[in-house]
Amino acid sequence: MSPAPRRPVVRGSLTVLAAVALLALFGGRLAPLDPLAQDTAHLLQGPGAAHLLGTDYLGRDVLSRLLAGTGLSVAAAAEAVGAALLLGVLPGLASVRFSAPLAWVSLRAVDALMTLPFTLFAIAAVGVLGNGLHQAMLALGVLLAPLFFRVTRAAALGLDRAQYVEAAELMGAGRLTVLRTHVWRKVLPTVAVTAAHALATALLTVASLTFLGIGVQPPAPTWGGMLASDLGFLAQQPWAPAVPTALIMLTVGALNLLADALRDAEPAERTPDAPSDTVVPAPLRESEEDRDDHRAVRV
Amino acid sequence: MTIAPSGSERPVLEVEGLRVTVGRGRAEAVREVSFTVRPGQAVGLVGESGSGKTLTCRAVLGLPVAGVEADADTLALGGTDLRGLDGRGWQRLRGSRLGAVFQDPGSFLNPSLTVGRQLAEPLRLVGGLSRAEARRRAVELLDSVGLRDPETVYDRYPHELSGGMLQRVLIAIAVSGDPELLVADEATTALDTVVQAEVLDLLARLREERGLGLLLVSHDLAVVADATDRLLVLYAGEVVEDGPTAEVVAAPAHPYTEALLTVAGLGGHARGHLPVIPGRPPAPGTAGPGCRFAPRCAYATEACRLAPIALIPRADGRKVRCLHAK
Amino acid sequence: MTALLEVRSLEVEFDRGVPVLDGVDVEVRAGEILGVIGETGSGKTTLARAVVGLAPVVAGRIAVDGRDRAGLRGRALREVRRAGAVQYMFQDPLRSLDPDLTVLRLVGQPLAVAGVRAAERRPRVLEALDLVGLDHALADRRPGLLSGGQRQRVALARAIVTRPRLLLADEPVSALDASNRNHVLRLLDDLRRELDLAVVLISHDLESLAGVADRLAVLYRGRIVESGPATEVLRRPLHPYTALLAASAPGGGAARRAELAVLRGPAPDRPDRSACAFAHRCPFADAACAPRPTDTTPLPGRTVACHRAADWRAHLPS
Repeated sequence: MSPAPRRPVVRGSLTVLAAVALLALFGGRLAPLDPLAQDTAHLLQGPGAAHLLGTDYLGRDVLSRLLAGTGLSVAAAAEAVGAALLLGVLPGLASVRFSAPLAWVSLRAVDALMTLPFTLFAIAAVGVLGNGLHQAMLALGVLLAPLFFRVTRAAALGLDRAQYVEAAELMGAGRLTVLRTHVWRKVLPTVAVTAAHALATALLTVASLTFLGIGVQPPAPTWGGMLASDLGFLAQQPWAPAVPTALIMLTVGALNLLADALRDAEPAERTPDAPSDTVVPAPLRESEEDRDDHRAVRV
Repeated sequence: MTIAPSGSERPVLEVEGLRVTVGRGRAEAVREVSFTVRPGQAVGLVGESGSGKTLTCRAVLGLPVAGVEADADTLALGGTDLRGLDGRGWQRLRGSRLGAVFQDPGSFLNPSLTVGRQLAEPLRLVGGLSRAEARRRAVELLDSVGLRDPETVYDRYPHELSGGMLQRVLIAIAVSGDPELLVADEATTALDTVVQAEVLDLLARLREERGLGLLLVSHDLAVVADATDRLLVLYAGEVVEDGPTAEVVAAPAHPYTEALLTVAGLGGHARGHLPVIPGRPPAPGTAGPGCRFAPRCAYATEACRLAPIALIPRADGRKVRCLHAK
Repeated sequence: MTALLEVRSLEVEFDRGVPVLDGVDVEVRAGEILGVIGETGSGKTTLARAVVGLAPVVAGRIAVDGRDRAGLRGRALREVRRAGAVQYMFQDPLRSLDPDLTVLRLVGQPLAVAGVRAAERRPRVLEALDLVGLDHALADRRPGLLSGGQRQRVALARAIVTRPRLLLADEPVSALDASNRNHVLRLLDDLRRELDLAVVLISHDLESLAGVADRLAVLYRGRIVESGPATEVLRRPLHPYTALLAASAPGGGAARRAELAVLRGPAPDRPDRSACAFAHRCPFADAACAPRPTDTTPLPGRTVACHRAADWRAHLPS
C-alpha cells in the first residue's frame, strides 16, 4: 500500500481546500456585488450577464452571497473543531494516567456525550445560551470532543505501554518529558486525521443549523442558509439549491479524502524501513526480531 | 542422522535453478539454488540473515512476499510440478502434502480458539472426518508430538501454552495432513535450549516414523549440524557449499563454511574465545562480478574478484563454490 | 573487594502467593560479568527488572554500592535513576528505541533527562558510539534504518553513555546470528574492562554466556540452583538442571546425547510432593528430595541447591 497512487487524490483535495481557504479569507472582497443588496426588480432570476449565478428570492446576487458566505461557514466549523481539540486531546492524553475509577467515569461521560445527536444538542444549547453562532459552535465542539478524547486516549494508551516509554522512565524522565519526546509525535497523525473528519462533520452541521435558522442570523450569508432559502423556491428555480450543495459537498469530500489519505499514509511512516541490508523484505524480518516479551515471563 | 538417503527412492522435493528477485530493480536475492530432499532425509539450509535461506524456503512453500518473485527450472514435490501453481493450489498443497513450521508459533494460531479445535477443524473439513473422529485423531496427534496430557492440551487456548508447547502444536498441525515434506524455518530459534533440543529430537523422530523429508532452515550451524544429513551453506543468495552434513562440519571446504563453524563454537565452551566474521554480506544486486564472499575472505586473491565462481562438484560428492577450496 | 551489586533473599511476586523470585542471592563485583541463565519463566528477566525497580519486591535486599535500592519510591527513585549508575538494557532494541528519534537523540536521552546541555551531550554521545564501535555517520539515522546488530549497539551505547557502574543486559544477543552475537559479547567484555563495569548478562543460551561470563548463576523457577565460576560450572555441573542445559546445547554430538538420555529419563522413586523446584522433572529425585534443598558449598566458590548433589553424577554414562 504505497502512498504513490494516492498522491493525485491528496493533491486534488489540497487544491480544493486551499481554494476554499482563499474564499474564506477574501471571498467578501471578491464578491462582484454587495451580498446583502436587494434588487426587488430582479427576483429569482436565472444566470445572466448581470448576475452570473442569478438572484435569490430577495433579488440578491447568488455568486456574491456564496463567496461572502464561505468565511462564516468555514470559520464556524473551525471554531467547533478548535473547541473539540482543546476539550478532547488534552484530557485524552492525561487520561492515560487516570486512576481506574476516574478513567471509568470519564469514559462513561464521554460515551454519554457521544450518543447525543449534533443538531438537537446544538438546538438545545442555543435555547439555553441564546441564539448565536458561537454558542452553537461551542455546543458542537463539546459534542465533537469525545471523539478526540477517545482517539487520543487509544493512541496514547498503546504508547504508554511501549518499551521506549519504560526505558525513558528508567532514565528518570518525568511525565511531561515522556509526553513530549515519545507520545506526542505519534498521536499527532491520528489527531490530524480525526480533525479533518471532524471539520467535514462540522461544516455539514453548520450548514444544517443555519438551514434551520440557528446560529447565523439573517441576512448574513452562509452556505447552509442559502440552501435553506433556495429550497423554499424550488418550484420557481429547481436548480438553485445545487450551487451551495455542490460547494458543501466539494469541501466535505475533499476533507474526507484527505483524512483517508492521511490515515493510509500513517502506518507506512511508522513501520521501520528494512535495515540497510535489504535482502529480506520487512514482513519476513519482523518475526526474527520480534522476540518474546518480558511481560510474558511471569511463571 | 542415522537414516542414510537411499539413492533409488524418488525425491520428495526437487529444486533446480531457483531464482528469487526482490524489489522494483528485480535484484537477484537467490540464484542457482538446487537441491533435493529424499523421503526420510533432513536437508539443512544455513547462512547469515540475508543469505536468502528464508526466501528459498518461502519459494518452496509457495508463500508470496510482496515485491518478491521466484522462478525455477524445476520445482517439484513428489514428482508434481509446482511451477505455475496458483494461490489456491498452493494452499491445498500446504494443507496436505506440504507442512511448515516457523519461528513464532503464537502468531500462526488464532488466539480465540482452542488449539485442539484449530487442529481438528482441517481434519474435518479437508479430511472429511466426523466431529468425534477428528477430536480423537487430534488428540492422537498431540500425543505423537510429545505433549503430555494431550486431552487437556486440546482444550487450551494458545496463550495458556508455553512457546515450546505451541511449537509442538504447530508441528502437530503441520503433520496432520500426512505431508511428504516438512519445512522448518528457524523453528527452534526462539526456544529455550532444553526445549530446542527436545523439538529437534521430535522432528528427527517424526521423519523416521513417517518417512517425511525435512528441510531445516537456520542461521545456527550448530542446530543444523546435529539434525540433518545434508547441508547447504548459502551466502548472499548462492549455495557456496553442499555436501553430507557430517563431512562438511568435520572438514569445511569453503572459507565461509569454515567461518560459520568457527563462530558457532560447536560443542566447545572456550572462555574469551569469541571469533567474528568481519564485514557484512552484500545487499542483492550490489555484489561484484567475482566471488561474493571475497571481500570478507582471508584467502581471497585477485582471481577471486574477477569472474563468477562456479559451484564445482567434487569427487567425494560435495559441491563447493571456491577457487581455493580445501 | 566488596560486591557492587548485592542481592539478598530477594522475593518478587506479581500475584499474591505466586513468587516469581523465591529467595535469590546474587553478587557482582566491579569489572566482573555474571551470567544468569534460565529458561523462559525462570525469573531471570524479573531479577534484572527488580534491581532497577520495575518489579514488585516483596522481601529481600537489593544494594548497589552498599546503598539499598529496593525501598526507593517517587522523587528519590527518579533522582537515583537520573544519576545513571545502574543501566538496564532491554531485550529487544527495536521496541526499546523510539523509532522516531535519531541515534544521536536516543543515545543522548539519558543525559538530556539528567539535565546535561545539548552542546555537552554531543561529544559524549559520539564517545559512546566510539566505545561500541558505531560509525558517527549513523548518528543521524533512525533505528528502522539500522541492522539488528547495529541496533543492539545503539542500545548498548545508550546504556553506557552515563558511565554506569552496573549494567544489566537482558538477552542482548538472542536475536542475533552467531557472528553478530560474538561481536556484541566481545564489546561487553571490552567495556567491562575499560569502564570497570559490573555486568549482569542474562541469557537462555549457554553458548553466549560461556564465552564471556566470569561466573554463572543458574536460575530455575525463581531460585538459583547453582552458581560458580563459569568454566567450572560448565565443565562439571553440580546440579542436574545445569547438566541438562549443558547437554541440550546444539552440536553436542553423540556423547552428549547419551548424557541427555539419562538426564531426561524418568525418576523411579520421584516423591509425590517436593519443595525442590526441579524435583518434578529431575531423573534423580527420590524420597530424600521432599524438603527444600539448602544452598551448599561443596567446592570453593561454588554453590548448589540439590539433595543429590553428591551422588547424582554417578548415574551419568562415563
